[in-house]
Amino acid sequence: MVRRVLAIVAVIVTALLLQSTVFGQLRLLGVRPELLFLVTILVAFIEGPSEGAIVGFVSGLAQDMLLNEPKGILALTLTLLGYTIGMLRQFIVSPSPLLPTILVGAGTMGGVAFYVSVSFLLGNFNQPATTAVRVAVLAGAYNAVLTPLLFPLLRRLFEGSRSRKVVRF
Amino acid sequence: MATRTRPRSTRLLVVALVSASLVIITLDYRGGSTGPLAAAGRSAKAGMAPLQEAVTDVTRPIGNFLSGLANLPTLAEENRRLTEEVATARTDSERFAFLQAQLQQLEDLLGLREQLDPEAVPAVVVASGVSNFDWTITINKGTDHGIALEMPVVAGVAGSPRLVGKVIEVTKLSAEVELLIDRDAAVAAVIEGVDEAGLVVGRGDEEPVLLGIDPETDLVGDENVFTQGYEVSGQPGVYPPGILIGQVARVSPASNSLQTDVAIRPAVDFSTLDYVLVLATRSRDAGADEEPAA
Repeated sequence: MVRRVLAIVAVIVTALLLQSTVFGQLRLLGVRPELLFLVTILVAFIEGPSEGAIVGFVSGLAQDMLLNEPKGILALTLTLLGYTIGMLRQFIVSPSPLLPTILVGAGTMGGVAFYVSVSFLLGNFNQPATTAVRVAVLAGAYNAVLTPLLFPLLRRLFEGSRSRKVVRF
Repeated sequence: MATRTRPRSTRLLVVALVSASLVIITLDYRGGSTGPLAAAGRSAKAGMAPLQEAVTDVTRPIGNFLSGLANLPTLAEENRRLTEEVATARTDSERFAFLQAQLQQLEDLLGLREQLDPEAVPAVVVASGVSNFDWTITINKGTDHGIALEMPVVAGVAGSPRLVGKVIEVTKLSAEVELLIDRDAAVAAVIEGVDEAGLVVGRGDEEPVLLGIDPETDLVGDENVFTQGYEVSGQPGVYPPGILIGQVARVSPASNSLQTDVAIRPAVDFSTLDYVLVLATRSRDAGADEEPAA
């Protein structure tokens, strides 16, 4: 359990560091990937809705602390995103290797759209709608491109940190 | 039995997390910039800054190399252009030195040195903002180095600065800078040669716009745009006068016929900022939590 918590914390901190340093320079048409959206969706895909919601909440809150926006909006967004992806995964039984990529791309676009909507309703979003749509689509595409690289790593990390079942007679 | 209660426990968990998120949003709105959540945010930024600096120190040479490779075809032309500009700038700097000496005498007479010739604190850019909707950078200097809120930040040298933005949050060892191109940024500016003043506002990935210009103003393009120092109720503005913002790129009619909008080509390339100068124009003893004066 402790090992799993430490693994999740390390993944979240690493994602935040990479998003603010390396991916600040490596942009797709001016847009950087949303790495915590990617982490949340993949965790929900691998572990289910509960873990997806928890990791989403913690990731969102971690990124909220580094933003100048009101804290909590991203935590809300990623909690619901993690739960939704985890629930969808239970009903989708396709063995296709493209499934994680498609879920990440679509999930990121939907998550960014939800985040923008909530920010707008709270009076905290002053960008044109075209900017929001462009960021959602490009961030989703960028996340989808990164999925084949990160999915095997995250799956190995979470399956390796899973506690072994003990059978007692 | 464990299987039957599991979906219900998951739903309860999600409801609890959503409720917690809503409570956090409400607390942050009520607390504002002095509340506990804002303080927690500043602590998180202070903790992340050294890690960001370490990562940037490792990745910057690699990023610069890859960027140089990608831009190789255009480097020769840019080199020729820059050589011509240096020759022109050498001539201008000789005249500038004479004018600077005259200005220094006048400043001494009027006691204006601190405002017009502020101390410059060099800083390294260690990270950019984590959001796709904010245009900010983090630098590796904070209150321990004399940085305070609302201090202007420039690139280049202190004698010929180019505007980058202003400090919007500061901790002991780091500071966050809102860039000129951020959609919340606004700078009072004047066009060189025509003495038309207006307000430069950021537009994110698009070029900033200078608002409030008379449609009758004759602009040909490439005129320099500088900050315009001003005072309100005896309090100086954020930016000292005479900092280069950029050049006029194009003129377009505004939605009303009383003014025209002027697109500005920034003098700073915000995608390749590595080093900046913070102009210590404000001599307050600011800690990380202090609000700027109204």
